[in-house]
Amino acid sequence: MGEAAGAVEAEPVDEAAGVLEPWEVFRQEKDGDPMRHGGSVMAPDATLAVHYAREMYGRRQESVHLWVVRRADIHDLADPDLLQPPLDRSFKKPGGYVMREKLAAAREASGQQKPRANKGDR
Amino acid sequence: MTDPLALDPVLPARERSQLPFNDAALDHDERYRHFEEHVTGGGKVEATDWMPDEYRTQVLRFVEMHANSELMGVLPEREWIMRAPTLRRKLALTAKVQDEVGHAQLLYRVAEDLGKPREAMIQDLLAGKTKFHNVFHYPTKSWADIGIIAWLVDAAAIVAQQALRDSSYAPYARTMRKICWEESVHIMHGRDVVVTMVTGTPAQRASIQEALDRWWGPLMQMHGPRSDRSKDRDIHWKIKAKTSEELRQEFLGIYVPRIWELGLTLPDPNLGLDPATGEWRYTEPDWNELRRVVTNHGPKSEERLQFRRDNWAATQWVRDAILAAPRAAA
Amino acid sequence: MTESEPVERIAMDFTDAGDGRERAIALLLLSMADDEFVIGFSDSEWTGIGPILEEDVAISSLAQDELGHAQALYRLFAEVVADGRDADAVAYDRPAEGYLHARLLDHGRGDWAATIARRYLYETADAARLAALAETSFEPLRDLVAKIRREERYHLMHVEAWLDRLAEAGGEPRRRLMVALEAMGPDAGTVLALLPGEPALLRHGILAEPFAAVESTWRARVDGTFGRLGLAALPATRDPGTARTRHSHAFRALHHEFTMVRGSEAAATW
Repeated sequence: MGEAAGAVEAEPVDEAAGVLEPWEVFRQEKDGDPMRHGGSVMAPDATLAVHYAREMYGRRQESVHLWVVRRADIHDLADPDLLQPPLDRSFKKPGGYVMREKLAAAREASGQQKPRANKGDR
Repeated sequence: MTDPLALDPVLPARERSQLPFNDAALDHDERYRHFEEHVTGGGKVEATDWMPDEYRTQVLRFVEMHANSELMGVLPEREWIMRAPTLRRKLALTAKVQDEVGHAQLLYRVAEDLGKPREAMIQDLLAGKTKFHNVFHYPTKSWADIGIIAWLVDAAAIVAQQALRDSSYAPYARTMRKICWEESVHIMHGRDVVVTMVTGTPAQRASIQEALDRWWGPLMQMHGPRSDRSKDRDIHWKIKAKTSEELRQEFLGIYVPRIWELGLTLPDPNLGLDPATGEWRYTEPDWNELRRVVTNHGPKSEERLQFRRDNWAATQWVRDAILAAPRAAA
Repeated sequence: MTESEPVERIAMDFTDAGDGRERAIALLLLSMADDEFVIGFSDSEWTGIGPILEEDVAISSLAQDELGHAQALYRLFAEVVADGRDADAVAYDRPAEGYLHARLLDHGRGDWAATIARRYLYETADAARLAALAETSFEPLRDLVAKIRREERYHLMHVEAWLDRLAEAGGEPRRRLMVALEAMGPDAGTVLALLPGEPALLRHGILAEPFAAVESTWRARVDGTFGRLGLAALPATRDPGTARTRHSHAFRALHHEFTMVRGSEAAATW
């Protein structure tokens, strides 16, 4: 991440630069937070896009880290067939394992009590 | 003005999603019905979603006027950046005007993604084809105006903007959240200027009262005449949530007591809270003045537009040669 | 009236216990503060009318930074002089001829190319001046210079990006840049012109090397950049004896503007 920003400062990739176009800005509010989309700026190249991102999403010291990405370089995926496939995937989720009744039967068979709630118990 | 058919989405459409109106296989009426159901049920719309022309145009018109207002709203205060009487005031005012430019940027970006290029929006503004808020058509005559504008004009604006943070058009709603956060500082700056002058010399106090008297009419007109909720298409599409009168009542409820608290008076003998209804009573604002002013016949409309035209022309070479042309090889 | 009389008159209503150290520090601080104050004003004129909205916001931040630096330097000056004036009184309550900013900053805002030319010449000269103060023996200034230098990094990045773009674009941008550099070039060195208290500054370790040496370092940097961009080399400083006095009509107009509200009522709080 730091590498990407450093590369922009050192040697902007300008071969396709020149046309005012949108650049998407992602910002991290404080260390440890995820990068979140902030908005976009118009700029002719990466160097000015980074400067403008700093102005629009950092001038109140509201960010500790920015990513600036040419909108055209973002690959988009929103296809529900790929992201929300219709068949059952419950085996991939904790909620897909319901064993309340089986546990009760096991306790009854073994004559044990239900253990007291314990952190980290699964 | 904007012809809906001229608006092509600039972002690749989400041709498939879980939202049924994005299904290109459905016919238009069916998509429209799904879309209306989604929006009126509280659903959000992204720039990449399919949307009916009416919705796209309606959102664009709303956001474009908001953006124009931020951009033109820069000018009344800008004149006083050079005259601010202390370093801190100078810094605060410069930062406030900068924020307004920043808000114009955020809002024009939202509008641009609906299909109208920024250049076209600015050309329409400069040609007088699109509008901006009434309050920015009036002169700023004294430093006291700077306090009154930053406190009360921004307060009236923030009341309206807070009600837009849940707009059905999600990019606009997100932008409003950022803008409201930034504007809360402006109100503090303005109120501080006003309170400092009210507790200052008699001439300073008189200057604040004079400014308040002058700005009260435009402030009462700012949210617009009462409208019929059921006929308001912006409300139907949940672009906005509140009517003009609801916003005005909210503004009066918060700010009139704060104005009176300072021993200032308001130039309306009928102004007061009706204990029976809980509503504020006031003398009917001059709606003819509002109509005149927002159609660019206000006291400073032409001068401010001309100032913008001149400055836009003076920096055209920068946009042509540097910002929108390929960089020459070194 | 000697050329240096206004300079001497400015800050000098205070007794200097030692051998000119405080006096020299005061002059240095005031000249730096006035530089930042005046360029901050010129840059702040762009707020609201920049070439694109994003750039408008950027130039306004630069103006605010410069004014913030001026404020900190005026505060330090007020502490050193301790004549009862606060930073605002120092910044605002002087006649136009009492300001000590460099003549480079007296050219008025001008067009975007003039703004970039002035900013480039000033920022690089200021960077050289700040470098010569980085290890200053005057501790409050050393702390402040360290902070200012961190903020000035961005200023240099911004203005160098624009200088390159204007120079390399050819055509009208390059022509406008050359016109601006021709007008301001002879005044560029005024930022680093000799100050009356220089011997004391050197003797007390306030300043690391004479301004003449700072100026050579700065000129080498500018020559390198201008050479790379094919721009004419900077000329020698015109009339260095009045580098920080005899201000222009443009500055007097600016002074009239910024004292208008504050001067409208004596002893008011704003």
